[in-house]
Amino acid sequence: MTDRLDLVGALSGRRVVVVAGAGGVGKTTVSAALALGLAARGARVAVVTIDPARRLAAALGIADLGDTPHRVDPARVHDAGIALVGSLDALQLDPRATFDRLVARHAPDDAARERILANRIYRHLSGTVAGAQEFMAVERLYELVDSGEYDAVVLDTPPARNALDFLDAPERMTRFIEGRGLRLLLGPRVGVGRLGWRALHAGGSMVMSALERLTGAELLGEITEFLQSFDGMYQGFSDRAASVHALLTSNSTRFVVVTGPRPEPSAEAAALWRRLETDGYPLGALVVNRVHDQPGGGEAQPLDLARRLTQAGAGDPAGLAARATTALDEARARALADRHEIASLIGPLGGPPLVTIPALDDDPVEVAGLARVTRELQGT
Amino acid sequence: MASPPLLARRLAFVLGKGGVGKTTVTAALALGLADAGHRTLLIEVGSEQRSSALFTTTPSLGGEPAQVRPGLFSLSIDVERSIEEYLAAQLKVRPLVELMVRSRAFHAVAQAAPGLAELVTLGKIWDLATLVRGDTPVWDRLVVDCPATGHGIALLDVAGRIGELSGSGPIRDQAQKIEQVIHHPAATGIVVVAQPEELAVSEALEAIDTLRSRDLPVAAAVMNSVAPSAFTSGDEPALAAVAADASADAASRAAAGAALASLRRSEHDAAETMALAGGSGVPVATLPLVPQLSPGSGGLELLVAALVVDPAIRGAA
Repeated sequence: MTDRLDLVGALSGRRVVVVAGAGGVGKTTVSAALALGLAARGARVAVVTIDPARRLAAALGIADLGDTPHRVDPARVHDAGIALVGSLDALQLDPRATFDRLVARHAPDDAARERILANRIYRHLSGTVAGAQEFMAVERLYELVDSGEYDAVVLDTPPARNALDFLDAPERMTRFIEGRGLRLLLGPRVGVGRLGWRALHAGGSMVMSALERLTGAELLGEITEFLQSFDGMYQGFSDRAASVHALLTSNSTRFVVVTGPRPEPSAEAAALWRRLETDGYPLGALVVNRVHDQPGGGEAQPLDLARRLTQAGAGDPAGLAARATTALDEARARALADRHEIASLIGPLGGPPLVTIPALDDDPVEVAGLARVTRELQGT
Repeated sequence: MASPPLLARRLAFVLGKGGVGKTTVTAALALGLADAGHRTLLIEVGSEQRSSALFTTTPSLGGEPAQVRPGLFSLSIDVERSIEEYLAAQLKVRPLVELMVRSRAFHAVAQAAPGLAELVTLGKIWDLATLVRGDTPVWDRLVVDCPATGHGIALLDVAGRIGELSGSGPIRDQAQKIEQVIHHPAATGIVVVAQPEELAVSEALEAIDTLRSRDLPVAAAVMNSVAPSAFTSGDEPALAAVAADASADAASRAAAGAALASLRRSEHDAAETMALAGGSGVPVATLPLVPQLSPGSGGLELLVAALVVDPAIRGAA
């Protein structure tokens, strides 16, 4: 074993930890375990999960993980050998509730707010606009940091087919809300008439009537109303996106990229790592989760396994010994394959700070398992 | 059950959380259908063509279906391009289509219009499913690799959501036409893929609930990457004794330990599979964890062999 990185220590003092990576690599578990470690060192921590992680919530003693932060009872984690010097709150992202608050904050007046919240297009939005969930995740993060109630906020990121989506989402969302071209074209209909629509009117009306043929007048009307109602909020949204970007690129933030020792998530992790580096996001570490440990005995074959199994009362000791020997060979091959996978991942990245977490026999969704992952992340 | 087994339905949609092996299951299902003599089209939604890593050929994006195996073709649907095709078919006036495609207004509306992208994608799939040459359908079977769960459900349920927005026009008409086919359990089957892991199982259960509540025909679930084990609980006491025996050589202890780990893993996987079957009430097929999936490794063929004989997929004998 090489020197082990204390990732929890390295992240102490940061206000934001973003945990990113491909789907299915255990981001949620790593996020919760990091948050637990930071809270154990005295910080007031909030962890925001994206997936409905019921057993994780149950492990933390939270019955109903939702948009509102829930405090984790220190007694629960104390039994697993972790003393919460600080505090740990957990919550699950509710994109809709977050978006509603964002609208309420930026709407120019009550009437505008009510109009947006009642608009059917708005109500469908979180499911339809590419990146809405990712945008709301960073928005929620910002809210929590801004509240001043936490020393550190750990953000699990939404599962995306491509983990890079997460970085592009806020910009895509602002671009969408901006919809400037559309407002110009819609001008004559919705009364934003000062913006020189005359010049665009000819082309615009043709596009509008074609759109109407496609969608029907009613749907187009609602879309128009929706886009128009965002008119007065664009500045607020775009300021917020800029603040979020500033926070995420500042020294207060660290990105942790999680992967498994398999080619597909590793390729995504490598691409994500490079992208973060290029775009100036501060990198914390690469975490390779569920790595198979090298079994004992080096390359030696079992000496007298069948005899020992006989002594232990096995029914078919020779057969069982043969099967166990095969299992050992397979476990060794898996461990070797994992080591190769990790080497081919970190080599081209120039040796990033690395933490490996061994594959556990069971999902680390019980509090003891979570504490074990925390200890791995501390290098202890 | 009155509905036919998945293998007998013309149109299969494969859905699941990211990372559970949805693309692999889609490829295995499509290959199994092709091997059984059905002319099969594997459809990927989105710009990434993950299945090409499982076959030796690289299908061309948005173009014509590319043959990847005998009887098996693959096609990737690009949403932007499909929207343009749809526009061209609806509006019929070429310069107008070009004007629309160039217009930012159109792109903003296309993004905001609930489900336009999904509807157009589904429309494209529907066109392929109903494509005939002479009197015979061009494709006997179509297998669709859906986007990850949330977006996948949005894709399948788009016709219903369009229905919620009252109004008229070609979009609404097409939605109604498509809805009838998608919701028809004789023609269409949805397969939800999970892995033996808490999050994946709970997400699969939620997805199945949601699909059912919207009357979408869930045909089966697939538990992917189930660790095979050569051990039974009867082996456990002797293995545990040797694993803990300090006088034994390290390799013997490690062998007993590896055997125990394999046993625990398979018990864990079996419990997750039970949770999926019990919680969903749909037939669950299991696929073994295969170490290698690259072309020529035989991994995909192993999965095909396991999938096509599974009663959850082929129906009870």
